[in-house]
Amino acid sequence: MTTAEHKSDVDTLVRMYRMLARMNRSRPEARGSQTLYFNLLAEYYTRVSNAHRDGKLLAAHTVFFPTEILYAMDIVPMHTEMTTWLHALFLREQAELLAKGAELGLAPEICSPHRGVAGIFAMDAIPHPDVILWSNLICDNTAKAGELMMELSNSPGFFLDNPFQDSPGEMDYLVGELEEMVHFLEEKSGRKMDWNKLSEMIEHTDREIELYREISELRKAVPSPMSIVGYLELLSADYMFPGQPEALQYLTLLRDELKETIQEGKGAVSQERFRLMTLFVPPMYMISSLGNLFEEKGAVSVVEPMFTRWSEGKLDPDRPLESVAKKSFLIPERRSMYGPLSQQALQDITDSAEQYKIDGAIYWAFMGCRHTCATIKVMKDLLNEIDIPMLTIDCDIVDPTITSEEEVRDKLEQFFEMLEDR
Amino acid sequence: MTYSNVTDKLINLERFRIVNRSFPKTEEILDLKRQDRKVFGWLCTYVPEEIIHAAGILPVRITGYTQETELDDGSAYLYINNCSFSRSCLQMGLKGEYDYLDGLVAGSTCDGSRRLFDLWQHYLEVPFHHMLTVPRKYTERAHKLYYEQVVMLKEHLEQHLDTEITDEALLKSISVYNESRELLKKLYQLRMVDKPPISGAETMEVLNASQRMPKEQFNQYLRELLDELAVSGNEYRGRSRLMVTGSVMNNPEFIRSIEELGGLVVTDELCTSTRYWSDPVDVDNHSPLEAISRRYLNNFPCARMVPSERRFDRILQMAHDYKVDGVISQIIRYCVPYAHDIPLLTDRLEKAGIPILALDVEYGTSGSGQISTRVQAFLEMLETRKK
Amino acid sequence: MNSSLRCWKTVRTMKTLGIDIGSLNVKAIVLGDEGVIGTGIGPPGDDIEAGARSVLELATRQAGLNSDSLPSVATGVGAKLVSITPQQKSITTCLARGARYMFPTVRLVIDMGAESTTVIKVNERGRLADWANHDKCASGTGLFLEQMAKLMNLPLEQMAKLSLQAKGRADISNTCAVFAESEVISHVHRDPPTPMEDIAAGIYYSVVSRIISLCKRVGIEKDIVITGGMALNEGLVNIMEQELGCEVLKPEAPQTIAALGAAIIARENAEKGIKT
Repeated sequence: MTTAEHKSDVDTLVRMYRMLARMNRSRPEARGSQTLYFNLLAEYYTRVSNAHRDGKLLAAHTVFFPTEILYAMDIVPMHTEMTTWLHALFLREQAELLAKGAELGLAPEICSPHRGVAGIFAMDAIPHPDVILWSNLICDNTAKAGELMMELSNSPGFFLDNPFQDSPGEMDYLVGELEEMVHFLEEKSGRKMDWNKLSEMIEHTDREIELYREISELRKAVPSPMSIVGYLELLSADYMFPGQPEALQYLTLLRDELKETIQEGKGAVSQERFRLMTLFVPPMYMISSLGNLFEEKGAVSVVEPMFTRWSEGKLDPDRPLESVAKKSFLIPERRSMYGPLSQQALQDITDSAEQYKIDGAIYWAFMGCRHTCATIKVMKDLLNEIDIPMLTIDCDIVDPTITSEEEVRDKLEQFFEMLEDR
Repeated sequence: MTYSNVTDKLINLERFRIVNRSFPKTEEILDLKRQDRKVFGWLCTYVPEEIIHAAGILPVRITGYTQETELDDGSAYLYINNCSFSRSCLQMGLKGEYDYLDGLVAGSTCDGSRRLFDLWQHYLEVPFHHMLTVPRKYTERAHKLYYEQVVMLKEHLEQHLDTEITDEALLKSISVYNESRELLKKLYQLRMVDKPPISGAETMEVLNASQRMPKEQFNQYLRELLDELAVSGNEYRGRSRLMVTGSVMNNPEFIRSIEELGGLVVTDELCTSTRYWSDPVDVDNHSPLEAISRRYLNNFPCARMVPSERRFDRILQMAHDYKVDGVISQIIRYCVPYAHDIPLLTDRLEKAGIPILALDVEYGTSGSGQISTRVQAFLEMLETRKK
Repeated sequence: MNSSLRCWKTVRTMKTLGIDIGSLNVKAIVLGDEGVIGTGIGPPGDDIEAGARSVLELATRQAGLNSDSLPSVATGVGAKLVSITPQQKSITTCLARGARYMFPTVRLVIDMGAESTTVIKVNERGRLADWANHDKCASGTGLFLEQMAKLMNLPLEQMAKLSLQAKGRADISNTCAVFAESEVISHVHRDPPTPMEDIAAGIYYSVVSRIISLCKRVGIEKDIVITGGMALNEGLVNIMEQELGCEVLKPEAPQTIAALGAAIIARENAEKGIKT
């Protein structure tokens, strides 16, 4: 397939999202924030598709990357893992992509989104990125993904080295890394960093994080107002649009919707019976069937400590790079995934369990994510100590051949039965 | 069919074997503990051993079982998708095999080992534990960060022990460790020849011991072994000259099973072998701490470091120096950094005309069964190429 | 007689039916005030509905009752496939109940079935607290044992009896059932051959260690009850007790414990006034 034909993969994503947005408009119960999310993603991928036509640099980057810096330089970001997940969800080519990853010699134990990313690059299934940006946030897989991508696309790249903790020396190091990256991007794009724009984005990021915190607070309500279907949207808003108007738009709308739901005395499901803590992320291809099952059983995911609960802290727009560095320590994923297994991270689990009045927890054990699975027992022990049962489901977030929907459903039903029985 | 005319058993090898057989609870270690001396466990080659040694503590490397075995407890804690190395180590810890440890030091090097450290200090009682942040780059700023981390380790140790680790002590430790490295280099140089006097399996036994006993004693034993080898008249031959590479591996049986098939393992690129000892600490123009930190960051790279090319270059150089015919890569399932390197490493080796056999293994494998079959086929292929 | 009167009558006499529709066998239990008053075991056959119904009738006939009038609950993999009873409960909940009924001190239930092994944690109140099973692995199952028995050319019962005489255990190091097969074959054919009783013991040990590793996921706590078809295998149970370091409680008719639990739940539901 030629690049032109594969470029149409991204165009297909755009069309899919536009279609989903249109379908939502004809559904009275559809959430406005969801429709907005679909449109925002359609626009995102339109920008990706048109980057070269518009004379802009297209930068492929790995997850948790400080893309505020890209936006401030008018560089078009393309989130590699997200693009792979979406291919899996919409284009159903995940088997092909994973096979291509295997062909390259990547072991099956490597995280499937990363095998898929390699596959996407090998198949030229995306517009050609001008630069490859990657970092070691959040794991070994991200840290190792870049060089292969560089080789497959024959593009230059920059590795952002995130230190393990936030001691002063480590923060200095990270800021230095960000400075180097800015130089690299200025060189490759021929554009200069707009520091005022970046400062503005930091201000917006602060507001964005505040909105996340507000939304988290609102979900403490009984009944809880947000369905699990919104989970992927919520956690990815910051992945795709950090410090951007899009994120503020989406989060503001979502927050208002949740407020309204609460005011009407309603909840995400018609009869709330089980309040759940979600640990890690359910298989993405199952999110809507999960929504249906939860509605059926009266289950609602009220808190996801690993992905939607932000740490305390404010950013300083007058010190943009330091703020970008600091933000990487405030993101929810940081606490439990990349950093020492601190008392703070563990306390957060028990605190959330109590504050959100949960009945049970579900840990989605993604087999490709070894560092998170290492926390399964620790978290289970903590929760069991406060008499909260935790169900562990082995799965893969993009590959449906690992655990079938039926198996997942079976386990969830048994779990709900057990909760009922208590 | 034997591929050697080794008539003399190396007497001096036996001393290393004794240490290995009883590790982790060797006589020396238990003796030291009885004398109220301290023993620390370390988890990977980015932990600057000299600092620990200079504080008067014996540093020993944490390794797992020397066989593939049921890892129920390890798997229950770390989950089944963490590498069997980390699970094996944790299992030994949970079973009390390392209960004498006074401290545990690790680097933030890879997900498996950092989680091993996390769970070890969470579930097992260790009076002292410390993790160093290890940058993934070699830039000056990275060196500065790593230096700060090394200083932090030193200060934490001083605080814990209520003592001072002087520059003199550090220089002394550096000198002892440099001697080990020099001696090990001499050992490896013996394998560069056509018919080495020591096999790959035997070398691995020496290496295991090097990370399990007081370095001063080790150096003495190794000097005596080198003297013995100089006059032994041993000659190992093989159908092909091989390099073993990949994930953490320290089971001599694995290498032995390859050598029994006729593949002479003349060198290895492992964090338990060359990546452990390769580079000496250079004290010229640097303070001891600077010298130590510089050496450890620049040392023969682990696959976690960026750019990976540095590791590939050194592998190719080693393959050239040891006149290697083929490479056997053994990657532990779920050993992510090394698994990711396979496509590019294969490409580099192919371009240099060196075939590579990529094996999926579990930590502790002895190399029997299917592995044996594949190695056999690989050796046959290498022979065909030679003709 | 109209249905509500029928229901009232059965609640008063407290007879309920539990049916466990497994992949290899259907088990039915009729529970009365004094205990189990009817049992049925049979294959599901090609027509699961018919197969289940005939097993049900076996049990009710034994109890001297008409099956239509009994409150009932179904469980097992086939529960969703039949329309015999609308009330269904997961096998884990039923096993917890059934084991508790037989042994009030139970904390851990090890259910060893044909195709899967499930371990169940029961709390002090007899409620299901946690469970685990090996989804994708045949190594701890009845099918694996059957395969091994075939390899050794022995009927299952004989293999079990033989293992009790073992002086040692053949080392079957592979954790995977597929590779264990080749190890067993090599033990049988080597020169001199490994004694059959040692091979049998080694096979059981390999199954038991898989099961114990599963138990560790929920935590091993006494008292331990074993259920399922494999619980009848004295050779396996012997090795299991050796490895656990304690005796395990063995109910009579261990394959029917889930059905028993289902019948108990049916009774609880009837007491609560839930129509079944």
